[in-house]
Amino acid sequence: MLRKEQGDLLTQTGPDTPMGRMFRRYWIPALLAEELPENDCPPVRVKLLSERLVAFRDTNGRLGLVDEFCAHRGVSLWFARNEECGLRCPYHGWKYDVTGQCIDVPSEPEASGFAQKVKLRSYSLIERGGVLWAYMGPPDAQPPLPEWEFATVPKPQTFTSKRLQESNWLQAMEGGIDSSHVSFLHRGDLNSDPLFKGAKGNQYNLNDARPVFEVVECPGGLHIGARRNAENGHYYWRITQWVMPSFTMIAPRGNHSVHGHFWIPIDDENCWAWSFDYHPIRELSDAERAAMRDGKGIHVKLEPGSFRPMANRDNDYLIDRAAQKAGKTFSGVEGIGMQDASLQESMGPIVDRTKENLVSTDNGIIMARHRLLRAVKALEDKGTPPPGADPVHQKVRSAAIVLPPDVPFTEGARDAMVVRPAVAPASV
Amino acid sequence: MQSESARMSSAAEARFRVQAPNSRPRAITVVACDAVSEAVVRKLAGEGWAHATFLTAASARPGDDRSPAPDDALADLADHARNLDDAVETADLMIMVAGPGGMAHFAPRIGEACGLRRVMTTGFVVGVAAASDAELSRTLAQLRPWSLMVVLANNDDYIGDMMTALRA
Repeated sequence: MLRKEQGDLLTQTGPDTPMGRMFRRYWIPALLAEELPENDCPPVRVKLLSERLVAFRDTNGRLGLVDEFCAHRGVSLWFARNEECGLRCPYHGWKYDVTGQCIDVPSEPEASGFAQKVKLRSYSLIERGGVLWAYMGPPDAQPPLPEWEFATVPKPQTFTSKRLQESNWLQAMEGGIDSSHVSFLHRGDLNSDPLFKGAKGNQYNLNDARPVFEVVECPGGLHIGARRNAENGHYYWRITQWVMPSFTMIAPRGNHSVHGHFWIPIDDENCWAWSFDYHPIRELSDAERAAMRDGKGIHVKLEPGSFRPMANRDNDYLIDRAAQKAGKTFSGVEGIGMQDASLQESMGPIVDRTKENLVSTDNGIIMARHRLLRAVKALEDKGTPPPGADPVHQKVRSAAIVLPPDVPFTEGARDAMVVRPAVAPASV
Repeated sequence: MQSESARMSSAAEARFRVQAPNSRPRAITVVACDAVSEAVVRKLAGEGWAHATFLTAASARPGDDRSPAPDDALADLADHARNLDDAVETADLMIMVAGPGGMAHFAPRIGEACGLRRVMTTGFVVGVAAASDAELSRTLAQLRPWSLMVVLANNDDYIGDMMTALRA
């Protein structure tokens, strides 16, 4: 349970809110690089943290992320012409460069200097690992560039997708650290999904539906260990990483790729669910990429030309009650991503946390909220930079590992929980 | 026409959610298992809780293999002896709090009693920030077999937030 004011504080991320100010201290994924595929390509509308923006790649390849609306009469610059190092509004020809600086007002004499007095709000946008990352905070507080492993391995080793989720970011993110739901909601997929099946760890999962949890604070967020029984009195540990504010990384299975998410607020009632898959030491196969594009694993099938899932609330998520009854899927919704999204969206745009009844196994969620509230307060009261923006906090790995019963996972998996170049992930 | 899911997940429809209480209060019992945790639990008890009971087993000493700690080691914070079985009988959740160093000698007794009555158990380690790995390991070895959830928080004030979240 959260008090209403705590829930409001965590779920509201507009520019004049405490949580919004905290989100603005991070590099956050804004677009897939392929959305701006070439210089002078069409601009793209971007809504992030309740701000409407437009992104473009100019003639020289420079990236811009600026206020969506022309300073003259408020026309959307999505209609602009992207040409000769700037976006030109088609209404009266006002033109802006990647910094938002107006560089041409055709109706005014060039010598008047009027254009120099007009500047749209703009934010830093950089490309890394096939993702365009935005920094929307104070320029003097900009952290080092993002160092997440999935974004720094060679391109053939990584795949990223995004989908629209029609709910607040927090209830989506909390699903990512709610390890106990996997044994129910996703149980039908472990042995059938091409990106999961075949791993020995799946049998540990399916044989023991009552895992025991350990939640451990770490500098950037949390390690969430789920312990199940293995052979000879040993334990099978699945260790999820949560890095503040909204990065989650799921324990791998066998030699499959490692995957995880970012949950990024669009506004207070919608978010982007970013999903990545990568392997630290090998290229992804054509079959793996095809499966990811086809919505397998944690990815979803999308409506053509959009980032909205094919199964969405307008078609009742294509729920198949026969498949549910037959045990093919637990909820009747196909695919891990949409199984999560359908239930999280059903809570309403912003779930009322004053009515929830958490239990002890929800400690991952409880502690994540605790840390977010603490970090927001430290930023607001003392200007303390929030955890997770430091690249050291980002160089983490999830892990699946079998350990003797007397070895804490924080010891037994210490090396496995950090990025080690050219070393395979710990996986079972 | 809008699908039922689209209509029902709108903010407008949230107005029609049933407003009646959807749960009864749960009884949470917090037991300090050693001297380090007793200070934390005493401070916590002073915060005023509606559905929580605070006990201590800090005086428990290790016994032999058949009896890891004596039965009479449990007491309330006014130092009145409390019967373990009674304490477990009235609890929905038992939180065992312990500091680093492996002094939680009463944890197995609590764990066994909770296991028999199917009472949920949580192990909470305080003083983590200043503890060595070896000290933590000793405590974890005592709590882990008897805890369905183990929490290692850097700040001891987390336990209060956890109890609020659990509606204590």
